[in-house]
Amino acid sequence: MMVPVRCFTCGNVVGGHWEEFKVRTQEDGEDPEQVLDDIGVERHCCRRMLVSHKDLVDIVAPYQ
Amino acid sequence: MQDYEVEFVERGDREARFLVRGITPAFANGIRRAMIADVPTFSIDQLRVVENSSVMFDEQIGLRLGLVPLTTPEGEFEIGDEVTLALDVEGPSREETTETVTAYSGDIVSSDELVRPADDNIPIIDLKAGQRLEVEADAVLDHGREHAKHQGGVAVGYRHLQQVEVVGDKGEFADDEPHILRGVIEDDGELIATDEFDNDLTERYPDKELAVEDVPNAFVFHVETDGSMTVEDLVVRAVDSLRDRADELRESVQL
Repeated sequence: MMVPVRCFTCGNVVGGHWEEFKVRTQEDGEDPEQVLDDIGVERHCCRRMLVSHKDLVDIVAPYQ
Repeated sequence: MQDYEVEFVERGDREARFLVRGITPAFANGIRRAMIADVPTFSIDQLRVVENSSVMFDEQIGLRLGLVPLTTPEGEFEIGDEVTLALDVEGPSREETTETVTAYSGDIVSSDELVRPADDNIPIIDLKAGQRLEVEADAVLDHGREHAKHQGGVAVGYRHLQQVEVVGDKGEFADDEPHILRGVIEDDGELIATDEFDNDLTERYPDKELAVEDVPNAFVFHVETDGSMTVEDLVVRAVDSLRDRADELRESVQL
């Protein structure tokens, strides 16, 4: 659905990086590894939060 | 208690690494635990939902709002104090069916300027045409041991300071496997974070025989905060809470 606010494992706030991450990896086609290093999401627990996330609001919205 | 000295290796607002000399392992762990569980922070705890026609349930919105870090000033509030916040965001008009308006943590309005979201760009919920989210929330000051959302410190830990000494040259046919080490090393009194040489001692001391030893009673703390306070504040408040409890103990066992 929406990107998690914090990393499940360590509690670091990752939600704020999602939109930049999404634009740079999906629209500009940058390497996700590079982007994550760039925005300072270092630990692999936090990195998986962004890498494995999928926005679902657009898919769910018609079935309200 | 004997004197101890503190030296910063890296220093930022939300992330820092510092060396403390002259403390026992028990005291180092006490500081770590105090940073996680004893330093109180504000966090949204109660929600009054005026309207929620978004795709998420009220409870889900409540969870997301609770996880948003709020700034927590020192000394102004006591445990259990409440601050009211409000969030009111409306989706695009009915005609624009493909548009989306996102409610961000930055849209949260606080009744007290000292307590406000530490990050403004955390998405709370996407709102489609005709949807609306209007909530009133009470943030409460509490300890990290009550709920993880009240933890100010994130991934707080420490390691021994390690001393690296060159004892000789490596033999001609010695294996050249990497010698991985993490944390901070001391070389002739100079502090070097291991990521400066890719955590591999053979990068810094090629073809040398090395002796790596923990320096007794010297700990390198790595502290990150969620933004509710600076690293400096977090550490000072943690140590203060330890001192307060030690004083309390001394008083209560006095004859």
